[in-house]
Amino acid sequence: MVDCATLSSVTLCPTFWAGLGAGLSVLLSAIGAGLGIGLSGPAIAGAGVERPEVMLKTFIATILAEALAIYGLVVGLLSVFDITSALTIEKGVRIFAAGLTMGAAALGAGFGIGAAGSAMASATAERPEIFSRAVISLILAEALAIYALVTGLLLLFTGAG
Amino acid sequence: MRWLRVCCYYSQAPAKRASVPSDTLSHIVRDNYLIALLRGKRSQLLDRQQYLSLSESKSQTEIIGLLSEGSYGSELSKLSSESSPIETQRAIRQGFARSVMSLIAASRGDTRVFLSEYRRRFDAYDLAGLVVYKAQGRSWEDYLTTRQPLALMKEAELHRLYSIDDLTAIASEGGDRELVARLKSFSMEDAAGEKASLVRDTINGWGEERFYKYIDEKLSGLDRQNCQPIAGSSVDIANLLLILRSKILSTSGIRDHLIPTHWKLNQRTIDQLLASPDVSQALDSMSTHGYYYKVLAGARQKYEESKSLAFIEVALMNHQLKLSTRLFLGSPYSVGIVLGFLTLKENEAKNLGAVLTGVGAGLPSDELRSLITVQN
Repeated sequence: MVDCATLSSVTLCPTFWAGLGAGLSVLLSAIGAGLGIGLSGPAIAGAGVERPEVMLKTFIATILAEALAIYGLVVGLLSVFDITSALTIEKGVRIFAAGLTMGAAALGAGFGIGAAGSAMASATAERPEIFSRAVISLILAEALAIYALVTGLLLLFTGAG
Repeated sequence: MRWLRVCCYYSQAPAKRASVPSDTLSHIVRDNYLIALLRGKRSQLLDRQQYLSLSESKSQTEIIGLLSEGSYGSELSKLSSESSPIETQRAIRQGFARSVMSLIAASRGDTRVFLSEYRRRFDAYDLAGLVVYKAQGRSWEDYLTTRQPLALMKEAELHRLYSIDDLTAIASEGGDRELVARLKSFSMEDAAGEKASLVRDTINGWGEERFYKYIDEKLSGLDRQNCQPIAGSSVDIANLLLILRSKILSTSGIRDHLIPTHWKLNQRTIDQLLASPDVSQALDSMSTHGYYYKVLAGARQKYEESKSLAFIEVALMNHQLKLSTRLFLGSPYSVGIVLGFLTLKENEAKNLGAVLTGVGAGLPSDELRSLITVQN
């Protein structure tokens, strides 16, 4: 067990790294989700004004953006459960890396979902028949966050305890 | 590739221009509601097939019934079978204005300023109508029915202008120094006689110039690049029409009434046009112009056949419709697509006006179709 109070530098403290990682995962993912919803939401509303029938299916953009916050929360909570008295510096840095990976990826994916979702809603408002093709870029943006989620979980669950 | 083009554009652009990524980003963040709204509205614009069906209608009432669910429904429903063409046109103008006002309500920041500048064009149309109606001795009530609902000038202000008898005073009160200078050698008698179209075009041209100047001086990046061809071609064609009309009317000194600003119709071309002895030769010289040769293809022949300049307005509208359609395909995040939509919507209003008035006057559907301009 590492007693952080006795260390010469906080950077040697595993709890510091693990806590920072868990915080970044939730914080950056929430910002990413906020960007995604904030950018695509108004466009969905605009599309719904003229074409109420497309509003429900274009909501997929906000749902996908919301999922980013859930991914961040999952990594964040799993990280918090790992912060025990037996935490080593290696595990602490792994948890930090997992949180940063998840958070940063969710931030990028959130912007991607926001911009692509807004364009998808606009395009669907003009030509509803292209929805199934316009939604592909949205799913690809979401996939970026899933890659980070997989990497983050691997970082959390593999390696020495 | 688009970013590469953007970088190339900026490497040649003056330093005052704002960066394209920041412009685009601000449109993504701020205008996504508006863009989705106008794309939805665009999908409801009448297409060629619908115009063809409308032109085959037997009466105005039938057309009004067909359009009752559309964007002009609430205005057209107030018309009856006895409605005059002026009332019909007014109802369509109000439908168009309602559409534009909903965009203004949905817009924010610079885009709202842009739409206000767009509305100022209609002040020029109102002022031109006012001068011509006043000069022809028609009543204020008659003039009021032709008013543009989108114009910013208040009815009280127009009423005050209507009580003025001097053209220079009207131009000074309702316009600015530039309009006064441009109307200098015209009088109210000119606006009543055969030169009425010249006076009207001069005032309308002043309105087009104000809008073009706003785009050229206040907008930057893709906004400016996308809007310039539409507003610039309006200014150029306004000048061309003034020159051609002056030749038909054998009026001298038209140079003083021309719009000093130009886009592709530069001073050398204007000098050439002014030096041409008649309309046919002037149109011939346009057939070699680097930009307008395509827009005005076959212009001389069309003029010889019709002895009217109406085909130029149709050619301009066709050109602007092409530009607008291209904007929708290529530049989703700029005010260009707002202007593109407004151009398409304005054209729809003109087409509907032509169809309703034509059907009311009993024109055969073949003739009606020739009055309709539709995007390809």
